[in-house]
Amino acid sequence: MAGLAAAFGSGAMTNAVSELELSDTIFIIGSNTATSHPLVATRIFRAIENGGKVIVADPRKNQIADFAELYIQHNLGTDVALLNGMMRVILDKNLQDDTFIAENTEAFQAFKDALDDFSVEEASQITGVSVADIETLATLYAEAGSASIVYCMGITQHTTGVDNVKSLANLAMLTGNIGKLGSGVNPLRGQNNVQGACDMGALPNVYTGYQPVTLGPANKKFAQAWGVDELPSNIGLTLPEMLSGIEKDEVKALWIMGENPVVSDPDANHVVKALEKVELLIVQDIFLTPTAKLADVVLPGTSFAEKDGTFANTERRVTRVRKAVDPVGDSKPDWEIIQDISNRFGFEMTYTSPQEIFDEIASLTPSYAGISYDRLEGPGLQWPCPTKEHPGTPFLHKDGKFTRGKGLFHAIGHKPPNEVVDDEYPFWMTTGRVYAHYHTGTMTRNSESLDFEVREGFLEMNPADAKTLDVCDGSQVKMASRRGEILTKIMITERVSPGLVFMPFHFEEANVNKLTNPAFDPIAKIPEFKVCAVKLEKA
Amino acid sequence: MIDRVKEKINELLSEGSVKGVVALVTANGHVAPCLFQKGDDLDTLCLGDTEKSGDARYPLNRVLCTIARQYPDDVFGVLVRGCDERGLYGLYRLNQLEPDKVVPIGIPCPESLAQACECKKPYPDDIVAGEKFEGISQQGVEDMDNKDLSTRFSFWMDQFSKCVKCYGCRNICPMCFCRECSLECEDLVSKGDLPVDIPVFHLTRAMHMADRCIDCGLCEEACPSDIPLRLLYKKTAEIMNTEFGFTSGINKNEKSPLSLMGPAPEK
Ligand code: SF4
Ligand code: SF4
Ligand code: SF4
Repeated sequence: MAGLAAAFGSGAMTNAVSELELSDTIFIIGSNTATSHPLVATRIFRAIENGGKVIVADPRKNQIADFAELYIQHNLGTDVALLNGMMRVILDKNLQDDTFIAENTEAFQAFKDALDDFSVEEASQITGVSVADIETLATLYAEAGSASIVYCMGITQHTTGVDNVKSLANLAMLTGNIGKLGSGVNPLRGQNNVQGACDMGALPNVYTGYQPVTLGPANKKFAQAWGVDELPSNIGLTLPEMLSGIEKDEVKALWIMGENPVVSDPDANHVVKALEKVELLIVQDIFLTPTAKLADVVLPGTSFAEKDGTFANTERRVTRVRKAVDPVGDSKPDWEIIQDISNRFGFEMTYTSPQEIFDEIASLTPSYAGISYDRLEGPGLQWPCPTKEHPGTPFLHKDGKFTRGKGLFHAIGHKPPNEVVDDEYPFWMTTGRVYAHYHTGTMTRNSESLDFEVREGFLEMNPADAKTLDVCDGSQVKMASRRGEILTKIMITERVSPGLVFMPFHFEEANVNKLTNPAFDPIAKIPEFKVCAVKLEKA
Repeated sequence: MIDRVKEKINELLSEGSVKGVVALVTANGHVAPCLFQKGDDLDTLCLGDTEKSGDARYPLNRVLCTIARQYPDDVFGVLVRGCDERGLYGLYRLNQLEPDKVVPIGIPCPESLAQACECKKPYPDDIVAGEKFEGISQQGVEDMDNKDLSTRFSFWMDQFSKCVKCYGCRNICPMCFCRECSLECEDLVSKGDLPVDIPVFHLTRAMHMADRCIDCGLCEEACPSDIPLRLLYKKTAEIMNTEFGFTSGINKNEKSPLSLMGPAPEK
């Protein structure tokens, strides 16, 4: 998100999901779309039926790769090199959109100069992808009438996550593939409302609608609305900073809402230590998760079916959610819990409904200003929606008019992952999801039918590696990184290349996040879930 | 048409001949199934028209089955199109509903919908209101039959490879009601990975639906991967018809050839 915001001025999907049907070329990188975003995959399948082409780059072969015009398996953590290689080809073949670059972007020259001493051969050497394949990828993307990029955590969960995203933005601007129907840069968001949570300022540095917390008009506006003289103007802590803050005795209390960091965060053993150390741990969730088990106080929240409100999905679409059943037991909607606690702390909140809160959001958030409950009947509205009459915005940055003014090129070079394989830890390991489960399985593993589909974790391994280790499908192996070790069953598959193993992270019993690397991107602070080095032995 | 339908439902509810009527409602800008009871406002009742006539359909019989299981002694009305009525006949035959506990409220489908469905009988036997259009020939099946084997084979394998094993096709189907689903039987279909076992997953379902599918097309509408499931089941139905002279749900007192022992019945 930080990467796209830096390049375009907005960090969300630039297109509506349905527009993908109209793309001539869809470049999917770091997204297991059919498994993780099946309804986005639907649109991609339709694009193929409409004569469009799909190109897929992923170190692990996924389902949608079978439908690709070209699928390439690049080395783990070499996205920037791959993208720079593609852009080298585009410049060499003069396929760039000079008019678009001249009229709508800045810092192109610096970007171009930085690429000068990078050759396709170098890209090929770093990524393990042939020069011919890089050339085909580049031409298929650059020569399309309308091309879209679709990416997900395979791009962002790296120490170079922001660089990866900025490189994708470079690629789109270089070819003018942004701000058009069916053409743009599209990060797919996971949870139904993760976009909404970010829109609402559930980030350390912004209020709603990405208005900065630092001193300025937004800070004043919020202080006034909430009837206080001033609001703190310092930027808060990110998750890794909170954990290290606990270690340094700077953070005394932690209130976790709807997150399960014991399973979802890298270096899980270390997370557990921090959560055990913090003086007061409050966890608000709908189930007693492994994280909630460590809490001093558990506050029972409500599920989607028990509450009213809105969700904002991956395509910036705000829709209503309506209560179908009353909250179970002592549980309460999150807003009521927050309001109760605020009142006990002495800051009075007297909201009577989510609608009242939404009206306040609209009054303080320019991109939501035109949205109100009465306009959310039916399919909802896509922000920005600045006025009551505004129909919402299916795609951003129309006609090259970027949210930030001009699109900004960034000169970026390849950096290796934080941890690389060596003699002691000779295997690359990456993590991801399976079709039946979502994230730490808090919800999906409580569903009988989904649990039936996939009951336990497993490690995907190439047949050649299985042979060397003398293990067969279903055998147990011991896998260790510098941070921990786990036992897991293996699945033998050609989906991963020799030397690379993959494991889904939904399963607390074989928690692969005990092994993952907590090193994080310097800007977005996203940990490098997607790359670490491990050793394997027969168990 | 809708006024006549509302009138009929009002009649049934106020004279007390039914406990409730399963129909469709427009609420919050969406169409959804709804149980209307005596005293309920029928203003919001709708026939499922959003952009086109009849483009928002639901397996109302499935909803009815759920309710009927809870209230076995009560009589319920249900809004039916041609396919839904075929479904009722099938569900009577399969002992999922009792004919004397169901009052169908039949509406015919407009020509555009009949064309889109390539529907053999786009109207129920009993029509409350509206004009009926004649059946449409099965062009889609014929076109597919005219392709050579290898084209057909690769077409279907490509289509099946898109499956994300969401079970949407099964979950929406008004004729799927088994307690133990063969799609979850590990001897037939392995679990735990995508793509699903192809073509086994889809053919297992097609076989299991052979004497049940009433060609409503809801499965295909629900499939997030746009797999042309309906075409597959239409072909299965055609085989059932050529071999046994049987069409699921066409006659009220039908028997399924798959549940009879002995030689094939006369065509
Ligand atoms: S299959 Fe289509 S046309 Fe036929 S009755 Fe059902 S909805 Fe109407
Ligand atoms: S068309 Fe599909 S949903 Fe309808 S009865 Fe046949 S299998 Fe079931
Ligand atoms: S609805 Fe489509 S994707 Fe889902 S299980 Fe059925 S065939 Fe597969």
